[in-house]
Amino acid sequence: MTTRADRERRVQDMAHGDHLCLAFADDAEQRRVVTAYVSAGLELGERVLYFADRRDPREVLSWFGSAGADPQRALASGQLRVTTAEESYLAAGSFDAEALARALRQEVRDSLTAGYRGFRVSGEMGWALRHVPGTDQLERYERRVTEVFAGQPASAICQYDARRFGPHALDAFDRCHPGAVEMDELYSAPGLRLVPGFRAGQRSLRVVGTVDYRATDALAAALETTLDWSGDVWVDMSALEFIDLAGVRALAHAAGRLPADRRLHVVDLAPLLCQVVGMVGWDETPSLIVTARETAS
Amino acid sequence: MTLIPPAVPPVPPVPPVPRPDEGSLLIHQALVYGTDDAFLASTVPFCLDGLHADDAVLAVTTEANIDLLRQELGDAAGQVEFVPSDRWYRSPGRTLSAYHRYVERHTVKGGHRRVRVIGEPVWHGRDAVETAEWTRYEAAINLAFAPCPAWIVCPYDTRSLPAPVVRDALRTHPQLVTGPGPRPSDRYVAPTTPGGAWKRPVAPFPAPGRAAAEQRFGADLGRARAFVAEAAVSLGMSPSGARRLVLAVNEVATNAVQHGAGHGLLTLGRSGHRIVCDVTDPGRTGADWYAGYLPPDPARRRGHGLWAVRQLCDLVEIDTHEHGTTVRLHMDLS
Repeated sequence: MTTRADRERRVQDMAHGDHLCLAFADDAEQRRVVTAYVSAGLELGERVLYFADRRDPREVLSWFGSAGADPQRALASGQLRVTTAEESYLAAGSFDAEALARALRQEVRDSLTAGYRGFRVSGEMGWALRHVPGTDQLERYERRVTEVFAGQPASAICQYDARRFGPHALDAFDRCHPGAVEMDELYSAPGLRLVPGFRAGQRSLRVVGTVDYRATDALAAALETTLDWSGDVWVDMSALEFIDLAGVRALAHAAGRLPADRRLHVVDLAPLLCQVVGMVGWDETPSLIVTARETAS
Repeated sequence: MTLIPPAVPPVPPVPPVPRPDEGSLLIHQALVYGTDDAFLASTVPFCLDGLHADDAVLAVTTEANIDLLRQELGDAAGQVEFVPSDRWYRSPGRTLSAYHRYVERHTVKGGHRRVRVIGEPVWHGRDAVETAEWTRYEAAINLAFAPCPAWIVCPYDTRSLPAPVVRDALRTHPQLVTGPGPRPSDRYVAPTTPGGAWKRPVAPFPAPGRAAAEQRFGADLGRARAFVAEAAVSLGMSPSGARRLVLAVNEVATNAVQHGAGHGLLTLGRSGHRIVCDVTDPGRTGADWYAGYLPPDPARRRGHGLWAVRQLCDLVEIDTHEHGTTVRLHMDLS
């Protein structure tokens, strides 16, 4: 089984051949990832193509500028192109998965021929919610992009705004990508990382490592952040190595602080710890939903 | 004017409820019996009066006594929950927690004014350490359930129990129901009695001539956890058993690091059919022997650790001595 940890990659660690999904729930996260991705591409001498949708291309360009890149020079030289989906591959009024995949393959070749050291592309995918004819081919297109970029000095990030795509659609599109962009950690120390992201299309906090008395406050603080998210919160324990009672209590406490219509789902928790939740009576917290990890032993 | 006989015999008056200890809602009585009739003479009215008063009624006793009670109660048996003792009395911590759950479920959440429990512990096949800790469990009930509207009658069968076990029942129960009515036990020793009546030093470990692994611990409990996991498995413990022990040791060691000396010593070895792990905190001398037997408030920030530890382990002893506090955790190897 592939865990989130295996398929998630920080934007600064991206490599040629990567085709990652960026699910985001706030504008700052989108801006941070996109800016880092495009700036790094320009710096490495790769050609960069950006398809905006909801964003005004001028706004996107201002991100790059304020990050220290010189987008105007790159635009003038042809190294950078920022356009919109509507003005490019949707100009005909419909989406043609095969045609776009072929066009990208050609872009990779042309970039290399022109002397660039690679090609990277990122697109805002919000148009898929506007019932453009051919949208039903989007999943197929995403799989084709993976094939086209495999083994090539090329990479792609497809941007899905979780506030607009529902969990079901978000999960479906996420699954069409071999990997996903990892969000900035809420906490990182030797032994423990607390990483926000998406799990099955739901906004989640991934707990990686060990939560003992020295990390209780860090976990509590990260959970406090998740309370500001909208809807249910998912805490992914698939990469948890150890958690003590105080850590489990932090989960129960956070769940208890949610308003009545929201739940805290703790998923992939070791079966022993699910028992512990019951031992102390935290299973009586209606907003805390605990699901056991499936284990071989 | 004719006298019409009542269609239903008048309901017998409910006998007056004995007054519990001051400030306590709990009634905790020992029923010392030597015949089936004596058992039934107390337990049958106890159940029927309880059902009449709309109390929830739970009977945890031997299979033989369950049969007797069922026959005698007739239709009313359907409203009593029966559990065989050997399925209920597995470890003191788990049993106490199960009773606590029962009380909560039927009073706070179930709408009953009170619960009545017949609770006949298992004493056969217990070794000296187990018997001593189960006796302290009976004593701790008086504290753990003091705030609960519960009436608990614990039968002790003089036909089969060793005399010391029956004698201890008089020390652990504030009241006795042997004979006609309840009366206070003049041998009763409350769990909080000053002078350490219930304190009991842990036996020397490892036993003379036997080996045990030792590991000091400090702020970094990762090493302590690794030590416990490795040592327990090497002594034949299952991986899932080792995970329970690691979790338990971590809780006790965390107490030592955060609220005790800041460091301590782990001693882990095999003792008969058990893995024993001592967690010694040299900085703490005031720990109560009953710590972890009192149900924690789930909303509180602290106090869950030892409660969980007592359920994770098969037996827990807490011993405060001049060199600090030793919490001894026992895990069965079977």
